[in-house]
Amino acid sequence: MLGGKLGIMVQLLPELFALIGINVFLVLSLLTYLLKSRFPKILPYVYNIAAIVGLGYLVIDKLLYVAYGEEYTRLWCSFAYLVVALTNVVAVNFYVAAVKRSWTIAGVWLGAVTLPSILISAFFISEYSLMQGGVFLPASQVGLLVLGSTLGMELIASLSLNRAKLLQRGKEVK
Amino acid sequence: MNLRKIASKRSTKFLILLIASLLISAASAEIYFSMFAQSAVTITGAPVVFVLGSDAPAGSTLGSNGTWVSLALAAYPNVTLTYGDPLNISNTDASNSHQFRLRPVSITPSSGASVGNFTSINFNVENATGASQANVTYTVSSNTWNTPSATGYLTIPPSTQWIISVSTEAVAGASSGNTENIQISVDVIQ
Repeated sequence: MLGGKLGIMVQLLPELFALIGINVFLVLSLLTYLLKSRFPKILPYVYNIAAIVGLGYLVIDKLLYVAYGEEYTRLWCSFAYLVVALTNVVAVNFYVAAVKRSWTIAGVWLGAVTLPSILISAFFISEYSLMQGGVFLPASQVGLLVLGSTLGMELIASLSLNRAKLLQRGKEVK
Repeated sequence: MNLRKIASKRSTKFLILLIASLLISAASAEIYFSMFAQSAVTITGAPVVFVLGSDAPAGSTLGSNGTWVSLALAAYPNVTLTYGDPLNISNTDASNSHQFRLRPVSITPSSGASVGNFTSINFNVENATGASQANVTYTVSSNTWNTPSATGYLTIPPSTQWIISVSTEAVAGASSGNTENIQISVDVIQ
């Protein structure tokens, strides 16, 4: 009779992207509410509903996962959800900067929300790709890093510009 | 007063939004964790298995997958009978060593007049060069078997076979036909 121990392999699940997406939507919801004078009143609630949709997707996904264990669809659905969430972060950033012309807020948003969201997503995409044997193309990962770096440089430039203007005018540039 | 009301209304709305956000975040994390906790179990062959040796007695049976074995051993009166190579422990893992031990589980009958016909039964673990590594020895005193304790864990190198040799001895004038059933477990650390 032979006895032994059970080994459990730990790995990232594709639903991690949906989880990040949900949290991004929730952050968007809270921030757009706090800055509601600059956004349509309904926007925070729309983002909250988007997060609830993500939660619903996770529930359905869990049932499908238990039933079929199918991974390809799960991965791309979760990834698409994350892309939508990140697109909204960038869109809000663009809206504040280009439409509302609130350069200071746009700069802070870029540094505090957009850049961290994209870099965190890039990190997990890279980790997932390593674990699953190159699910995402290296080009897409490099693209994300380039995007993150570009945004970082934009942030530095934006803050420098704002600082210069503040020094010139002695007040916040709106 | 109106300003206070407006501020209070805004705070309440924000609080509701915040609580809803926390609930959604916690629920989604919980669902993700519940998926994460569903581990996959894959069937693979046991890395350490039994293999019958060149000296295996007639009537011995090796179970499928080499995970159990039954040895039909004999004992002669007033003489020590040694099976030099009845059973092997094989580490089929080509890259990893594994630890195992022999652990006595049961011996039946454990006491009685029939037990008095035996002197000792010894299971000895030898490495590939024939050096003794550990042993499990059953001895009889006052018609009762003294059950030995388990061996310490032994490390068997990759792609190696070790031998479990067996020695039996019955008392002078022992009656034929008395049988003992011994169960020993081999515990393997993966």
